[in-house]
Amino acid sequence: MTVLEKFKKFNQKISGWLAWVGLVGILIMMVLTCVDVIGAKIFQAPVFGALDIVIFAQLVAISFGGAAPYIIGRHVQVEFFVAILPRRAQAFVNAFVQLLGFIFFVLVVWRLVVYGYSFQTGGEVSATIRMPLYPFAYGTAFAIVPLCLLLLSDFFISMKRGFKK
Amino acid sequence: MSPVTTGLIGIGLLLFLFLLKMPVAFAMALVGFAGFAYLADPGPALSLLAQDIFETFSSYPLSVIPMFILMGSFAFASGISHRLFSATYTWVGSLRGGLTVATVLACAGFAAICGSTAATAATMGQIALPEMRKYGYDNTLSTGTVAASGTLGILIPPSTILIVYGILTEESIGKLFVAGVIPGLLLSLFFVLTVAILCIRNPQLGPPGSPTTWAQKIKAFGGIIEATILFMLTIGGLFLGWFSPTQAGAIGAGGALVIGLIRRKLTWKIFLDTGKDGLSTACMVMFIITGATIFGHFLAVSTIPFILADWIAGLPIPPLAVMGVMIFIYFIGGFFMDSMALVVVTVPIFFPVVIRLGFDPIWFGVVIVLVAEMGVITPPVGVNVFVIKGIAQDIPLEVIFKGILPFLGALIILTILIMFFPQIATFLPSLIRY
Repeated sequence: MTVLEKFKKFNQKISGWLAWVGLVGILIMMVLTCVDVIGAKIFQAPVFGALDIVIFAQLVAISFGGAAPYIIGRHVQVEFFVAILPRRAQAFVNAFVQLLGFIFFVLVVWRLVVYGYSFQTGGEVSATIRMPLYPFAYGTAFAIVPLCLLLLSDFFISMKRGFKK
Repeated sequence: MSPVTTGLIGIGLLLFLFLLKMPVAFAMALVGFAGFAYLADPGPALSLLAQDIFETFSSYPLSVIPMFILMGSFAFASGISHRLFSATYTWVGSLRGGLTVATVLACAGFAAICGSTAATAATMGQIALPEMRKYGYDNTLSTGTVAASGTLGILIPPSTILIVYGILTEESIGKLFVAGVIPGLLLSLFFVLTVAILCIRNPQLGPPGSPTTWAQKIKAFGGIIEATILFMLTIGGLFLGWFSPTQAGAIGAGGALVIGLIRRKLTWKIFLDTGKDGLSTACMVMFIITGATIFGHFLAVSTIPFILADWIAGLPIPPLAVMGVMIFIYFIGGFFMDSMALVVVTVPIFFPVVIRLGFDPIWFGVVIVLVAEMGVITPPVGVNVFVIKGIAQDIPLEVIFKGILPFLGALIILTILIMFFPQIATFLPSLIRY
């Protein structure tokens, strides 16, 4: 196994762990919403701050699970054009797309850290349970890092394929 | 460069990146960000980027998406689809072409608890195709039926595409869901009629299955109870105003999970794998919405949607003709783009035109879902066809595409009917008073 493949495997493993955190997030959303509905409709006792917690759980679910669709190739893509290109051209096209994706998500991570810092200094909290927002912005930035690394490793792998005769 | 020119270049660049196989979500976000940075300023664009991502990921109205996707995943894992097919098979399987009719009906039933075409086609394909092979059904008919009937997944509520449409246009998701009911039932009927006509013309296509007794038929009713309860609870709850869309989805997901546990279909491994699978799909859709949000800001500053709406409204042609052209664009676009991507990219551009011309936005949602359904079964990117090809690997793609044609005809007829009789889609939503 080459260094690049090892690097990719390592990133996939990290993303897999983060996806477990995402799974916990989406299950919390489901369970809490059910409990809140049943509590409100039957016992007239909704869960205090349910909406805030559901929002945070969703943020965790989507950001921490965000690399999973990329790894398993679930993102919606238009495939018919690249599929008809020669193998080397396909590799270079993929490398170009992956490099663009990498640059974009690095920008996203940077701006989310800045955004989190603005929450931290401004003392921003959620509406009902007064939970600070900044850890979630930092957490989202952290959760997107593996996606950046996956795009970077795929870029190098595609370039290598492109130059291979 | 004027905002409109920049906007047009941006749309061209977006299509170019699509062609290069960039994920639709990434391409929309990237072009939207770059375009906004060019038209406004890089500073505000960078600030908006983080804000858009944080706010979309943590948007409560969007939490309906993960919940209904999770409901479909748990419904799939809990074996509801098997019992649905078993019930419909017992009732109509002994008729000529009965297995294909049973497949259409089971797909319609599964569509009532799952909002995805591919999931519906995959689920029913795995169950129905081996049965149809066993009874010597023609491959063209069997594969075409499953691929086409899978499209019911996005018309009969809950529907992922209708949810996304509702979010993009700020229309009521409850009304959109209810609007899909009559067209969904009509389409199921049209598919059944298609099968019947094909089998009457050529009885060799679908030989009768094993006969069943009345006792077996009555007992088989049990197979539709779970799906009916889930549907009534979620969509009925939405219709009656008991639940918000998110609550309906969560109750549906919880209900499907409980059914799986009671039926002992969910081991820990299946539960975790199903949950992760649902999470991946939810993330994919949420990334597309985020991309669409960022791209939407760019489109707004480019002013293209508003100029287009004004221009089209001033044309000396009837609104229905304009609508016909838009539907044709969706039809052609469906050949090359995934239905979800097509809706997300085009709705922000076309929706102001639709409103300006005085069309009902709920009706328009149903119409574009119908046209998007055609894209799911037409080459070269007919997702459902590839799903069926994955299940029946020895059947050539052209056989499946050939099998699709009669069902495509049924879809086109229904679309034309709904264009001229909008009440088919708007009657039920008109009964909702919220």
